[in-house]
Amino acid sequence: MEGQGENDELYPIAVLIDELKHDDVLLRLNAIHRLSTIALALGPERTREELIPFLDDSVEDEDEVLTALSEELGNFIEYVGGPEYGHVLLSPLENLAAIEEPLVREKAVESLNKIGEQLSEKQIEENFIPMVLRLSKADWFTSKVSATGLYCVPYRKASPSSQQTLRQYYGGLVHDDTPMVRRQSGNNLAKFIKELNTQIVIEEMIPLFQHLATDEQDSVRLLTVDVLISIAEEIPKEQQPSHGVLLTSLRNLFEDKSWRVRYMVADRYEKIAKAVHEEVVTRDMVPSFVKLLKDTEAEVRTAIAGQIPGFCNLIDRDTLLNEIMTSVEDLVSDPSQHVRAALGTQISGLAPILGKEETIAHLLPMFLQMLKDEFPDVRLHIISKLELVNKVIGIDLLSQSLLPAIVQLAEDKQWRVRLAIIEYIPLLASQLGVKFFDEQLSELCMGWLGDTVFSIREAATQNLRKLTEVFGVDWAKGSIIPKVMGMGQHTNYLYRMTTCFAISTLAPVVSLDIIENSILPILDRLVSDEIPNIRFNVAKSYAVLIDTLRRLPTEGTLTDLEKAGKTATPSPRGQDLIQQRILPSLEKLQEDEDVDVRYFATTAAGGHEEVMQTSP
Amino acid sequence: MIVDITSRPDNQSKPRGSDYQHIRNLDALIDQLSNCITLSEDDIERLCDQAREVVQDESNVQPVSSPVTVCGDIHGQYHDLIELFRISGPCPDTNYLFMGDYVDRGYHSVESVSLLVALKVRYPKRITILRGNHESRQITQVYGFYDECLRKYGNARVWTLFTDLFDYLPLTALIDNRIFCLHGGLSPSIDTLDHVRKVDRVHEPPHEGPMCDLLWSDPDDRYGWGISPRGAGYTFGKDISDAFNHNNGLSLIARAHQMVMDGYLWSHDRNVVTVFSAPNYCYRCGNLAAILEVDEKLNYQFIQFDPSPRTGEPTMHRRTPDYFL
Repeated sequence: MEGQGENDELYPIAVLIDELKHDDVLLRLNAIHRLSTIALALGPERTREELIPFLDDSVEDEDEVLTALSEELGNFIEYVGGPEYGHVLLSPLENLAAIEEPLVREKAVESLNKIGEQLSEKQIEENFIPMVLRLSKADWFTSKVSATGLYCVPYRKASPSSQQTLRQYYGGLVHDDTPMVRRQSGNNLAKFIKELNTQIVIEEMIPLFQHLATDEQDSVRLLTVDVLISIAEEIPKEQQPSHGVLLTSLRNLFEDKSWRVRYMVADRYEKIAKAVHEEVVTRDMVPSFVKLLKDTEAEVRTAIAGQIPGFCNLIDRDTLLNEIMTSVEDLVSDPSQHVRAALGTQISGLAPILGKEETIAHLLPMFLQMLKDEFPDVRLHIISKLELVNKVIGIDLLSQSLLPAIVQLAEDKQWRVRLAIIEYIPLLASQLGVKFFDEQLSELCMGWLGDTVFSIREAATQNLRKLTEVFGVDWAKGSIIPKVMGMGQHTNYLYRMTTCFAISTLAPVVSLDIIENSILPILDRLVSDEIPNIRFNVAKSYAVLIDTLRRLPTEGTLTDLEKAGKTATPSPRGQDLIQQRILPSLEKLQEDEDVDVRYFATTAAGGHEEVMQTSP
Repeated sequence: MIVDITSRPDNQSKPRGSDYQHIRNLDALIDQLSNCITLSEDDIERLCDQAREVVQDESNVQPVSSPVTVCGDIHGQYHDLIELFRISGPCPDTNYLFMGDYVDRGYHSVESVSLLVALKVRYPKRITILRGNHESRQITQVYGFYDECLRKYGNARVWTLFTDLFDYLPLTALIDNRIFCLHGGLSPSIDTLDHVRKVDRVHEPPHEGPMCDLLWSDPDDRYGWGISPRGAGYTFGKDISDAFNHNNGLSLIARAHQMVMDGYLWSHDRNVVTVFSAPNYCYRCGNLAAILEVDEKLNYQFIQFDPSPRTGEPTMHRRTPDYFL
């Protein structure tokens, strides 16, 4: 090993070698991460001639270190003197691609592909392809597993004869004895097919696919679903009927005895349907869709439930209604909550396909039942997707049939369900109109202001703001403001605070008149609340009001202005209110006994920016 | 250093800009932690220094004013701690009293304890953090906090900084002289709150004695003192809590330390309540969590909550498995 005394230039590599051999894994890891620095110090030539050969021998280390090394080498081309020397990196990475630990191999393969992209055709022929072939013929399965991921990049740049060799070797991997290799060859086959022309796919790849699709291991078979999609996408649809073996394999996969394979099929159902001929969809895929909906395994039913709108979009409406709908409806009372939850996220997507009448006939009863599901996720999913249905059948019908259920959910034990309902309210309100709202929903909305969960109280104030935007300031003045101000009298500070939050939230949607006659009086009282938390939240509300009043005209609200895209002269009355009603209170709060009250009051009065600007 | 920005209006006409800078820095740290991003080692060091200044002046029986939300064990369940703030409101708007066990067992001890300590430094009057039996060098080496620090920072410095700070945390708190809050329970060496006040608390909790008992004891159905199956602290019966509450003019002892399925559990004829704030404890117990909201009239209500919906952590129910393994 080079000694430090002999030559100062050798010092960096001496340190690296020392650190690479250090007992502490962390130090070795750091050394690897600093590899590029060392290489830079050595220069390209000595990196090629000294560093890389040294790394060649250092494959006996902790997996963590080797993973880092595999990753670093992928970005090393610039340090060995550019792409024309890139092939020198293949040797250490070839060793790393044979390591036991999958993570190391994955990184090595990633890096090899990265380097391969930058190599010339000559380098590919002379260095890369021979390496791929060596790995493919290795004794131990780890190298062969890595090899399966290394075919695409060289194939693009290879000569026709090398391409043929590559395909032949890939075939060897597909026929390998160990399932690990077959699994990875199946996994990478879909990608490899994308590199090939249609004729070769038909002649050479379909047999490979067929071999894997009839593998005795279900873990291999399940990977062929993607291969099938890949092949079908490659072959023009009108030619597909002439390749009967594809269809046979497809049918076999659909009815595979292993549920894991059926799961993969179910999970990719829409993709498969898009890739194959229309005739296959109606003749084969519709019946198997129904079968999968009734599969014995909940996992399979969950997966296929996720494909409902996607797949149903590809078939005609009559087929959907006559052959599929009943089975979909059965899922509503599926014993597995996960199946029902998956159905909940998807089922609304059927509304645009079914159209108004059929949605009312088929979907509404399902919704009603699912809104009562004992599993909260199911209820939540249905509520959050109602908008799609809304567009199809109109809010009137939807609300008439669902309102009782919604009202019930508004008091759901799960606060996230309540939250989903709150978020849906403004839409309902805008469609139903004031009268209906005041009769049916108003009480609910005000009730949420006193919810035991903070997030619901917060959402309730947001909701009131949106309602004010829908129904207007006059309505708010009569219906909302008194309730909000009423909360300011609550005996519990957390609920009094709701008033402060509501004021800040409502400020942009209320008029000068409301601020002056409804809001400021309640703050006047809360400003001397016995609880400091209320007092500093009053200060925060004051800050929002100051900002509002500086811009607010005599008539209308800030949101009105914004919507109209206009600017207006701020009312002088607003300035008066700031000076006479707000600043004196803030001054008082700035002298408060509580440090947080003083802080927020000073911030509200603009004191802090001043300090920040004037202090050094 | 407790930053009181307007503490001396008389002799200092304008507060210093550096104090605001300090507050802004803290607010930035709290923001960062609210997104579950770990602080740098240097930030932790500064934070622990500042936190020590704040908590070392607090009493062994730290007086706390109502209203306040009382919380039990967190155990590194960061996402559930955030859920807790969603339920009872953010600090400083809502006042909080945490009764220890911030670290160990969960996946995010570092982030959880960093957040609570940062809030304590920023809002010393709005949040009180007591010591639990897991706020200890010995226990954290066994139950995960030490390993987590090592994993996330590559060395044990952050662990040393936090465990050094833990020595200064107050042992108990007293809400409006009526509700006595602590992690574990009572001690045969302690009859009055004054006894607690006299304990020298600034060191690693010993294996026996009053300080150990306060962090380790449990209430029990059997009367009198009993040997704790935990190997530290005691079990105490209704007669003990009756006498303690009567002698000290207390209406309630609120404590944590034991997982209870409903998140809270009354014992000893409502002399003692256990509050536990880690839902689905250890990601597998299936328990509810609870907090105790005490209002300004000392009325109280328990609020129970489920685990926060989350990704990337183990969940109790069966999820779609990964087929590619």
